[in-house]
Amino acid sequence: MSWFTLPTGVPWLTLSIVIPLAGALLVAIAPAVARRTIKQLGILSAVITLALVAAIIGGFQHGVGNLQFQFEETLKWIPSAGISYHLGVDGVSLFLLGLNALLFLIAIAVVDPETPRLKQFVLLLLLLEAATAGILLALDLILFYVFWEAMLVPLYFLIGVWGEGRRVYAAFKFLIYTVIGSFAMLVAILAVAGISFSQTGQLSFDWAVLVQHPATGSWTMPFSLGAIGIQQLLFLGFALAFAIKMPLFPLHTWLPAAYTAAPIPVMVVFAGLVSKLGAYGFIRFNLGLFPQASHSYGGFLAVLATIGIVYGAFMALVQTDLKRLVAYASMSHLGFIGLGIFTGNVLGIEGALVQMVNHGVIIAALFLIVGMIERRAGTRERAQLRGLAAVAPVFAALFLIVSLAALGLPGLNGFVGEFLIMLGAWSSFVPLAVGAGIGVILAAWYVLRFYQGSFQDVPVEPTGFGELRWIDTGVLAPLLALMVVIGISPNFFPAAVEATVRALPVVVR
Amino acid sequence: MTINLNGLGIDYGVILPEIIVVITAIVVLGLDLVIPVGRRNWLAALALIGLVGAIVASLPLWGQNRPAFADTVVGDDLAVFFNILLLSVSILTILLSPRFLRALDINYGEYYVLVLGATAGMMLLAAATSLMTIFLGIELLSICLYVLSGFARTAVRSQESAMKYLLLGGFATGFLLYGMALIYGATGATTLRGIAAFTGAAGNNAAGNVLLLLGIGFLAVGLAFKASAAPFHMWTPDVYEGAPTIVTTFMSVATKSAAFAAIGRVFIATFPSIAARWYFPLAIIAIFSLFIGNLVAITEDNLKRMLAYSGIAHAGYIFLGILPGTSQGFAATLFYIASYSVMNFGAFAVLTTLGAAGEETADISYWRGLFYRRPFLATVMTIFMLSLAGIPPTVGFFAKLFIFQSLVSAQIWLPLAIAIIMTVVSFYYYLRVVVAMITVPEEGLVKPARPGFSTSTVLAVAAVATIGLGIFPATVLGWATHAASLHF
Repeated sequence: MSWFTLPTGVPWLTLSIVIPLAGALLVAIAPAVARRTIKQLGILSAVITLALVAAIIGGFQHGVGNLQFQFEETLKWIPSAGISYHLGVDGVSLFLLGLNALLFLIAIAVVDPETPRLKQFVLLLLLLEAATAGILLALDLILFYVFWEAMLVPLYFLIGVWGEGRRVYAAFKFLIYTVIGSFAMLVAILAVAGISFSQTGQLSFDWAVLVQHPATGSWTMPFSLGAIGIQQLLFLGFALAFAIKMPLFPLHTWLPAAYTAAPIPVMVVFAGLVSKLGAYGFIRFNLGLFPQASHSYGGFLAVLATIGIVYGAFMALVQTDLKRLVAYASMSHLGFIGLGIFTGNVLGIEGALVQMVNHGVIIAALFLIVGMIERRAGTRERAQLRGLAAVAPVFAALFLIVSLAALGLPGLNGFVGEFLIMLGAWSSFVPLAVGAGIGVILAAWYVLRFYQGSFQDVPVEPTGFGELRWIDTGVLAPLLALMVVIGISPNFFPAAVEATVRALPVVVR
Repeated sequence: MTINLNGLGIDYGVILPEIIVVITAIVVLGLDLVIPVGRRNWLAALALIGLVGAIVASLPLWGQNRPAFADTVVGDDLAVFFNILLLSVSILTILLSPRFLRALDINYGEYYVLVLGATAGMMLLAAATSLMTIFLGIELLSICLYVLSGFARTAVRSQESAMKYLLLGGFATGFLLYGMALIYGATGATTLRGIAAFTGAAGNNAAGNVLLLLGIGFLAVGLAFKASAAPFHMWTPDVYEGAPTIVTTFMSVATKSAAFAAIGRVFIATFPSIAARWYFPLAIIAIFSLFIGNLVAITEDNLKRMLAYSGIAHAGYIFLGILPGTSQGFAATLFYIASYSVMNFGAFAVLTTLGAAGEETADISYWRGLFYRRPFLATVMTIFMLSLAGIPPTVGFFAKLFIFQSLVSAQIWLPLAIAIIMTVVSFYYYLRVVVAMITVPEEGLVKPARPGFSTSTVLAVAAVATIGLGIFPATVLGWATHAASLHF
């Protein structure tokens, strides 16, 4: 079932990578002084990409399971090394692709035209969009790795050049953490292909091939440390990369520095999307390629995820800087996603997928709001903000909706994902479901305190705090609409992703 | 006693590329006497014609396996691969040269003769299949490079670097020659084919022959010196720093490539039967190079020295590809050499361009804010730095990937782990350059001279190749795989 049928023979997925690249090229040749043109070019390419991705979502056949991909494209790339250009989309990546296109449009739209070196800023954002789209679409492990690493370069510059505070330190810390994880993954990628080669005699990095031949056997560690399954070892290689990117407790220490330093447009995509790519990687590669290892390590990782929920929530409670508060809130919510993934059952994984989209929408909106508050009030300190609702009632109303979604109020989107994840966790790890429940309670606490502290009470005199401009409303509107729509028709996402999730090897087993 | 020349296999076609380069060098030398001082660019043009001619003469040898001159040289895919690589590097070097030489006031015709001579030596080294021709090639290229390092005669730095290079190089040549003598003493052959036949024969117990193993060890020292691999790297930073930048550009790329051609022929093709014996020393060299190159590069503020240490580190990665002793590993090595040539040449070429006005540009403080002063130079430099660090989608990533892949297939884990950790370390010093370039400039920095047309072309070609080969590496990998299938 799909809403409409797209013509075949058009490389739809390649287009969704190429259009941001083409936009970047146009921005590159535009004169640096033409600030308006540059921003318009950026918005234009993001709009075209969003339209294209919307078409892909509309043309996507729902209910196709059994590890089938749609809109597949396969080209020979480096045949002698078994590397191909293989793109495809399924229920796991479909809505993240939509989120990608939406958040980048919003990020470029909220770029301040007075940003120094605007041209490079927009250019790097578009390059980042191409890379993240590639990550979601790549089905060849080396191709995936290329996009995964290529994503780092624009992010590094976006934080390191345009950030605030200790930006170079933050960018560098983020880079080194990520690179360490990436190289662990690279070795695991090479080993996965090598093992499959020794089993089948065919050298291939194609996910669709590798998923058919899960690694077996075990490796006796030196110094009589006992034996470890090969699959478990490979699982850990991938898990390190994705756990750092997500980030999973205790690998989160790069996060506060990077999230505090990054400028708001970058935060929208960084927290809204890039963090989800780690979760996506877990589902696609760890659960897909190593089903047995997922079962053996799932419990451990679920415990880490739950610690992350509670830890992030407590950290968010004690922050006075709103940006840091949202950063830790994001970490706490990502713990929910991790918990859902590692339950290894249909409900949990579906919940995680739904929550990925929800979290992207909510966190992007929260960071936008932090940016709007900071631009108006000149501070992000909760203690210095008071009574903003009195001077900006529309702003306050919109912010309230976002806050309620963030704390998981039924009827808004945050509830749908969290509820599914809790159900999944309940059937796999009961104590962890309780831990996650504590996280929900704490979320209500820190979110409402954020709202009450800054918006209620009597305003500080004199107030220079302005109401929302139309552009502010414009960028928040699609996010708010999604929060409401997902909240009132909660079955929409699960129906679309269910067939894919049910076919995952980890669930089948 | 009569000498029978019939069995010697005289085949000028095999060494035609070398002959063309040498004849060009002689013609340039003669012409330099009569040509007016203001027209020395003609010498460069003539040298370019000769180099292009040599490339054309190399092409017919592709796909052949033509031993010639009593098995002392061979015309095969490996030789052609390196001929094209080395000649291209030479061509790009000469395109960059006139402007730089004029700026330093060292625009003499001998420069082109020496570059051509060194190129001929490197090509001979890549085609050599006998200890004699290997030695001949190494000496030819070394002597030309000794002179080139000191080519800025009036600069004390340049003289010092030439002297250092000469003394240490002479020492290394001694090792090389002594090793060759020992190998000859042990095997009774000077051709690699003869040596391979001896070591491969079951009754000879080559793996237990101390004379032979000692000889191989000395040979490895001599070749590792030329490849500037640790712990035989001591000359590299000083020579790279002191030599005129254009010479450093040429030698950092070309010498290393030629040395690895010989290393491949010696270790992979000649001594496969005793691979267990040379694996450990070469692994030590590779690991030392990775550690020393990457760790010391962090501390260098001088970009020429930093790139010298980075070159040592890259020698380590290239050695890793030799370790498995397989043609897959050697193909990865060749691909690495080709990509290293492109990206490292590019990085040094940017240095050359900035230094063409004669000022001291190698210190990292000079690079602050280059992005706002010369965006083109800064952009291409960023591409080269990212590629040297191995970040996709640049060719440097696939170079490392193929090496790592060959190590995984051969299950060589410890060197692989070290290589990966050191790669993470290397991100620091490569990105440091990029960070300096994007840092907002302070007041009072000079705007470097605008790069000329030929310079910009060379830089653009190198940058496009760095990214282009990073997106479409299959063709070059195919060539490397062909060239790597060595056997005797």
